Amino acid sequence: MSTPVPGYRCTIDELMVVAFSRAMANDTRAFNGAVSFIPVCGYLLARRTHAPELVWGASSIAVDADPDQIGDSTLSDSLWGGASMLSSSPFEFWSYAQGARYNTFAFRGAQMDACGNVNNTVIGPYHSPKVRLPGGGGMADLGAMIPRIYLWSPTHDSRTFVERLDFRSGIGWGDGGDHRERMGMPGGPQLCITNLGVFDFEPSTKRMRLASLHPGVTAAQVQEATGFEVAMPAGSIPTTAPPTAEELRILRTEVDPTSARLREF
Amino acid sequence: MSKVTTLEQAAASVPDGSTVAIGGLSMNSAPMALVRELVRQQKKDLTLVAIVAGMAVDWLVAGGCVRRVLSGLVSFEGLGLAPSFRAAAQSGRVDVEEYSEHLLICRLQAQSHNLPFVPTKAGLGTDVVGLHAETGAVREEKDGPTGEHYVACTRLPVDVALVHAHEADERGTARVNPKLVWMDNEIVNAAARTVASVERVVDTAAFTAEPQRTTYPSFMIDEVAPAPKGAYPCSCFPEYGHDSGFFAAYSRAARDPDEFARFFHQRVVGPETWDDFLAANRVSVGASS
Repeated sequence: MSTPVPGYRCTIDELMVVAFSRAMANDTRAFNGAVSFIPVCGYLLARRTHAPELVWGASSIAVDADPDQIGDSTLSDSLWGGASMLSSSPFEFWSYAQGARYNTFAFRGAQMDACGNVNNTVIGPYHSPKVRLPGGGGMADLGAMIPRIYLWSPTHDSRTFVERLDFRSGIGWGDGGDHRERMGMPGGPQLCITNLGVFDFEPSTKRMRLASLHPGVTAAQVQEATGFEVAMPAGSIPTTAPPTAEELRILRTEVDPTSARLREF
Repeated sequence: MSKVTTLEQAAASVPDGSTVAIGGLSMNSAPMALVRELVRQQKKDLTLVAIVAGMAVDWLVAGGCVRRVLSGLVSFEGLGLAPSFRAAAQSGRVDVEEYSEHLLICRLQAQSHNLPFVPTKAGLGTDVVGLHAETGAVREEKDGPTGEHYVACTRLPVDVALVHAHEADERGTARVNPKLVWMDNEIVNAAARTVASVERVVDTAAFTAEPQRTTYPSFMIDEVAPAPKGAYPCSCFPEYGHDSGFFAAYSRAARDPDEFARFFHQRVVGPETWDDFLAANRVSVGASS
């Protein structure tokens, strides 16, 4: 469902895509997994605006894809139009990933914790789950391999953002602090973009910290909707900047004319 | 001797209790015609290896064929959770042996390369590796000389791999057209035996004219089962896409056990031949070229 952002001429899905897009530098080399409509829109928008040299491998397969529209699966061939190469998963993709030639990946889960670790495997105990979720897929792999990890969630609530995951399917900053570095993993989560705000990670603890609030949202509301203590920035908390008219036009008419991104809401 | 056989005979060669690896990825390129035939033949106690799976695993679980699933992901992506798999995992009727994509790939590579293990950084620091503490199938280790952490992935024996390809000749030389992008070769290389369903059987001359496009040599493919639209309702790029309508109808039916039983009979296992199945789902075979 498309929810208007108070005071902005856009909806929350659009604000999230634009925030995601703006975080993408020109040297981004990204790929995407399943149910990743917000990141896919973000990569395509960034490439059409401030990051023309951004590389995106659609479904981790189709390098430089430029689809006319986004279908109902972000893993399917419907995203591959305009690609300059169909790379193969066994022969090519895993080398590009394990060697961090690809430098950017985004994932989300049914649960996420303060250090950006993610659960998409089970709710409840592993051997007698209350809900069996799809599984982590490549999260456990790519979380450990890719230096710039982005997280997102269209459902910022205390069921999703929890103090303790029921299962760690994908690694973010792990146990926090220098855990990733000690394990020999490059980089780590950079941002988490939700329907309430944008979060970065406090440099020493690697715990989630509020970076900006979407219009109409207060810091107290964010804390209320989060199962762990959210770190606050020094000084006043900025409001997430509004999308430009040009960003919205490109998103609505070129990147995602059928609003596939709303499948996540 | 020709390796061309029927779906029925190919499925009959899969014994109860065997370890069956299923190709494709999510809604793409799964060997659905072969899988349907396994369900029709009421196979029992299969162990499935399916790196990133969906409908194929759900059909086999719904058909009561499965004891154990080794996988990194089973879902219908944005179209929902795989309902039979989910219910069976929650009730304990089916055991799930949890992996990530790359942990499973590395176990298959250890098998195919005949090595005690293949190392990866996949899974480090997650709960996935810990689940295997008892068997040591994948285990976290530290390299002595460099001090680097890695996960050692041990061999994974597979009795039979089922994959879908575009074309094969009678000797079993086969290709995915335009090229293999999914991880099917990992299961083919690891499996003791491979059955390929194919959109069509072609002359060997088609391969010798363009040997650079061959995906599997004849000695890696044991049986070839012709099955036009054989990945339906999954996709077979670039010839046909996945059928979202089928996934949606299946998921809808799964909300009610009686309705699902009816649907599963009428739309999946009831039709006697693969052609009957396609007709029951109003899929035309002629459209693919």
